[in-house]
Amino acid sequence: MKPEFNQLQEWEREFDAAARRSLRERMEYSFIYTYKPVLDDAKFRSFNTMAEYKEWCRKNLPEYLGYW
Amino acid sequence: MNVFSYKQGERLAEAFNRWEVEYLFIGKSGAIFYGFPETTQDADIFPAKNSANGQRLISALRELGYDLTPRLEHDLKVGKDFVQLRGGPFDLDLVFAPDGIETFVEAQSRSLMIDGKFPVASLDDIIASKRAANRAKDRESLPRLEAFRDYLRSRNLIALPTNPSKS
Repeated sequence: MKPEFNQLQEWEREFDAAARRSLRERMEYSFIYTYKPVLDDAKFRSFNTMAEYKEWCRKNLPEYLGYW
Repeated sequence: MNVFSYKQGERLAEAFNRWEVEYLFIGKSGAIFYGFPETTQDADIFPAKNSANGQRLISALRELGYDLTPRLEHDLKVGKDFVQLRGGPFDLDLVFAPDGIETFVEAQSRSLMIDGKFPVASLDDIIASKRAANRAKDRESLPRLEAFRDYLRSRNLIALPTNPSKS
């Protein structure tokens, strides 16, 4: 969906603000930790194909996490 | 749990370079290197999918402090499409076959080295990958990510300056 003009203006102000910060600062603000149920409960997972991964997400992850 | 940071990125880049891992940052974490002001929870890596690179990746991950089981090492070597690592120094998603990107070599040819040390897939490839993946979280972030790409283009930039106070 195409964003509205006001939304684009707001985003541009945020991009302008980001341009005044260093990469180091931007990364400090951008990477956060929030526990994600199921997804974070195993030390590792591997999937033969992306289709297999997506199917696993659909079957196992709560919808609100946005993985499907 | 350690959150990924510039310092962690440097550690990763140093270890991957030392072991000559062929890789690119991708996904939202890749876009953040370009200056995209958004939050994410893990770093996404697109490694070249071949057994030699898999072996180098194993060595680099061990150096970074990931506890790799024999099964995980096997999976990294044989070339699964997707490996998710938790419990190491930071969360890492290894995407060997990202949606919307044909080959690693093609993506690498379009990539950019940010801050002289972080190889990152092009914003166009990151956007193409998110569009092809078409998950709810991708659909939600795409309009803002495309607006960011347009913002850079309108200013003749390929990325925001990495250290504006010194530029």
